[in-house]
Amino acid sequence: VLRMTQPSAVLSIFAMFLHTTFGESGCTSADGDGTLGDDEPDNFDIDCFSQLEIKDSFSSLTCNFTELPPYNTNYTLSLCTKEDNNYACSNMKKQEDAYFLHFNDILSNRDVCMYSEMKRRVCRSLVVTDIVKPEVPFAINITYEREANEYLIRYCTPHSSKKYLKDKLVHQVAYRQKEGTWKTIESPYLQIKLLGKNLENEASYEVKVRSQPNGDYFKGTWSEWSTSKSFRTAREQYSTESYSSVVMVILSILGFMLSVVMIALIVVFWENRIKPAVWPNLPDHKKTLEQLCKKPKNNFDISFNPESFGYVHIHKVDGLWAKAELENFLQPSTAPETSLPEKFRSGSDLKMIPAMTDKNDLNPPVSYGGAWPAEALHRLLGTSQFAVTEGSCSSSTYQVCHGNRVPLHNDGFNLSYTLSLDPSGQPHPEPLNDDTISQMLPDSDMRSPNNEEAYFTVPNFYKIQ
Amino acid sequence: NPAFFRSTLPVLPLLLVLSPVNSSSCAMGNKTTEIRVKYENILSHDINELVNMSAENRDRCCKKYENIKVFFCNDTEEIESLQSMACNMLRFFSKHRISKAFRWKAAFVSCETLQVLQCKCERPKKER
Repeated sequence: VLRMTQPSAVLSIFAMFLHTTFGESGCTSADGDGTLGDDEPDNFDIDCFSQLEIKDSFSSLTCNFTELPPYNTNYTLSLCTKEDNNYACSNMKKQEDAYFLHFNDILSNRDVCMYSEMKRRVCRSLVVTDIVKPEVPFAINITYEREANEYLIRYCTPHSSKKYLKDKLVHQVAYRQKEGTWKTIESPYLQIKLLGKNLENEASYEVKVRSQPNGDYFKGTWSEWSTSKSFRTAREQYSTESYSSVVMVILSILGFMLSVVMIALIVVFWENRIKPAVWPNLPDHKKTLEQLCKKPKNNFDISFNPESFGYVHIHKVDGLWAKAELENFLQPSTAPETSLPEKFRSGSDLKMIPAMTDKNDLNPPVSYGGAWPAEALHRLLGTSQFAVTEGSCSSSTYQVCHGNRVPLHNDGFNLSYTLSLDPSGQPHPEPLNDDTISQMLPDSDMRSPNNEEAYFTVPNFYKIQ
Repeated sequence: NPAFFRSTLPVLPLLLVLSPVNSSSCAMGNKTTEIRVKYENILSHDINELVNMSAENRDRCCKKYENIKVFFCNDTEEIESLQSMACNMLRFFSKHRISKAFRWKAAFVSCETLQVLQCKCERPKKER
């Protein structure tokens, strides 16, 4: 029994030792942190980056030694994944000074381990999505927009057609004048614009682009620079702002000059043309009447046709005298009575005739042209004779003197007519001369106080409106 | 009896060694934020590709009704349901003669799902 007990004790103790060393943690190191490190510290310096979907759905890992190990040391790099108690590693391929490996699982936590002859295994953990290096942009295209004076720079990235990094990158555009210093602009889009006013005219520029994960989930480093693209700026980078300002200045000057001219014209033509047109003067009746009563001009044309007054007798009178003189001149003479038709010899008839004359009877009540009812005379000459406008007054030579005892002018061209009756009783025009007057002028007693003088001079007859 | 204790003493360590390791199927637990971020940035794209590829094999996948129940999702047990679906998809498509590219893509999505959930299947995951 003692012999069986001793081996079982040893076995149980060994099992306990193994249980503590090999368990769920999969820990095989003494440090107990879960890594695959030895007791010795992981002091190898490597620089790794990943490239997602570099070939179909496979991603890649590239590592470089920042400090080269001793030349005569054989070493290998492996990408390992912890799975349960197993540790699956894949050796990386050496390409010149770098180690390269394709893989497709970017979610798992990875370790990169270095195997050397001297050290058993040294590992460093890495997260594939935190060391992403995008692919290089390509197809840079530069377009000049003349209207806006801007240069549109467009470029492409291979990740636009892939899954993980599409719209997850930020791009950096660098430009410079030939042999000048680089200037950079960052943008999450696949195009940017350079303002023409910030560039020199007719100069040669160079442009290049690179990309980097935006840091939301994927992190990493800048990609390599794209191939440079050169372009030449326009000859005249005429700023639209300066062009518009020049136009505004010219328009302002023209507007000012136009306003000055308008003001001057208004001032000059205000009294004569503008004001009468805008505020016409109301007719002044006093002035109108004065115009109407203007004396005719000398040598005014005469166009009076007595025959147009066929129903009345109109006698031409060479001159007109004052009524008082006329009365004195005709007072002693009785000869005119004999020449008078019998019909009118009676002064009473003369007296009565004006009263008997109505509006429709235009037969003159007198044969000497002395009395003429004003009413009949008005009808003959028109009732609106006094409604003459100023314009016609200036050329009108018609004049009627009602009870006017002032001597009138005896102008040579003035025709003075009086009305008389033929033996047939029809009035006919007769020029009035001295003899006629002496024969025709009646006694003053025979004058009707209601009759008015019917002498009128008609140097010109106008249609009186 | 001293002999009794000497004979029973090694049993306890053996029991400890032979006892199964207490490991949960999924280790993520309530880390829903981390799960969501990984799903949005990586897993969702591969699932979309698998969906587009499955459209070409629609008749082959869904002919039998009994095959649908293996992908049933229980409410309030999303992680366990996703684990079950991923593991079933690994086993399911390996049994049918479907195009290699599709089977590989399905296995890849299953593995990524289990990785995001930090879950394991009873059987080893299919690897390339």
